[in-house]
Amino acid sequence: MRHLGILALAVFILLPLVQAILLSFTATLPTDTVAEGAIGLINYRNVLAAPELRAAMVNSLIYVVLNVALCITIGLPAAYALARYRFTGDRHFLLMILVFRVTPPVVLSLPIFILFSHFALVNSPVGIALVHCLFNMPVAIWVLESFIRAVPREFDETAYLDGHSRASFFFRHLIPQIAPGIGVAAFFCFIFSWVEVVFARILTVTGGKPITMAIQAMFSFQTDIGMVMAMTCLSLVPGVAMIWFVRNHLARGFTLRA
Amino acid sequence: MRPHDNRAWFLVLPALTLLALVGALPLLAVINYGFHDIFTLSDVYWVGPQWFADILQSDRFLASLGRSLLFSTLALGIQVPLGIGVALLLLSYGKRAVWGLMLVALPLVVPWNMIPMFWLGLIEPRTGLLGPGLAAIGFDWKFTGWHTWALILVVDTWHWLGLVVVLAYAGLSAIPPAYTQAAAIDGASRWAVFRFLQLPKIAGALAIVLLLRFIDSFMIYTEAFAINAGGPDDATRFLTLELGEEIKGFSYGQAAARATLYFLIVLAVVWAFVAATREREA
Repeated sequence: MRHLGILALAVFILLPLVQAILLSFTATLPTDTVAEGAIGLINYRNVLAAPELRAAMVNSLIYVVLNVALCITIGLPAAYALARYRFTGDRHFLLMILVFRVTPPVVLSLPIFILFSHFALVNSPVGIALVHCLFNMPVAIWVLESFIRAVPREFDETAYLDGHSRASFFFRHLIPQIAPGIGVAAFFCFIFSWVEVVFARILTVTGGKPITMAIQAMFSFQTDIGMVMAMTCLSLVPGVAMIWFVRNHLARGFTLRA
Repeated sequence: MRPHDNRAWFLVLPALTLLALVGALPLLAVINYGFHDIFTLSDVYWVGPQWFADILQSDRFLASLGRSLLFSTLALGIQVPLGIGVALLLLSYGKRAVWGLMLVALPLVVPWNMIPMFWLGLIEPRTGLLGPGLAAIGFDWKFTGWHTWALILVVDTWHWLGLVVVLAYAGLSAIPPAYTQAAAIDGASRWAVFRFLQLPKIAGALAIVLLLRFIDSFMIYTEAFAINAGGPDDATRFLTLELGEEIKGFSYGQAAARATLYFLIVLAVVWAFVAATREREA
């Protein structure tokens, strides 16, 4: 009975993925050399041979990595402050990050576009990395805060008594101690940024297209759906790798402090 | 108890600055635009609260609001119990549960615009794995309203179940086994253990799930638009689809007023939620 439930769940989750993977290995647009329905790596070869698709993968990787780095480096001190101290306005800060986390991107897309075009941040991975902090910074702060709070306060105090400065305590003691938390925070930031489409679309008008928009652009009057699926399957690889890296810490999840 | 020290603000300052720049500033701009008629960026006229009055008095807005509320209710009603159920199921597998967590996390890494494509491919009547079967029983998501609803709900559940499961599992696995063992010795039923021990313990973890899932489903756009663009006959015309239409139609003033209203709804929900959470903790 138990196994049956898991089996049903696996079928439900995997079915669309199986369909996509099957299609990605099938030639869906007949050419002179390949018949429709032929099985092979033709779609993957086409994807890797297309310079704009390769560029899109690089663009996506750049802004996602940049976003994760920003969220962790800026989120870590904030998370530490929230985990260890009370200060005037701390609850308001928590309320603010919660509000920004849940504000729908479509609400802010227009002014962000106007603002960013003033600072030449349109068509640049930096712009997307910055704006994705809006929903990723709160998640990073929540995850890191819950991991820091699990570390007893005596841990900090011993390090300070040993003569460590705050900076050296952060890098030599705290970061190694909460490494799994940094992994989990990076995981959530990575996936939320990788899959996001609203900001990624409006901030890339003529260039710097991310992987999501490159896939969108492959739909045309005569879409090579096999190639679309090959590109999509490739786009899943980094995310699946991330899941694998944090699998043993995924169950820590994140809880909200409000 | 954590000491009170306002120097902690220095640690929060970088995050606050960044969020002010990419969040607060655009938000103020949206609210300001909402009171203007915008032809081009250099051709802007003050119209006062006219757009707000127009939107609030239109039947279409109220109908969309109702649809979005219904959609959120259904999505939460399906995904939260199902997610908790799956988390409980995985819990009984001990260490092997990690494979289940990885499985349910898979849809979370799929680019949002591809999720509807996956499902439309799956139910394509000729070539999809499920298509011929569904066509045979008369499933028609394009022209039958409640079929479109069912499809969007299934797709949304597929997409987000993983988040519910991961966070519910995180809460459940943090309960010391001694608690459940003690309850078992006392002869508590499976339901009693869940209702009076596990559910209260994971309330904190569930709170964030409820909030995230409520807002995200309330403001669903990418999937709903790609599947049927609000159709058939406006049956799945949710709040965000109206906003999207106005932005695409270059009615920036109206779009900004609408965006402001949506933000206020979100703000009200978050505020009510936080007030409820703090009351529970106190």
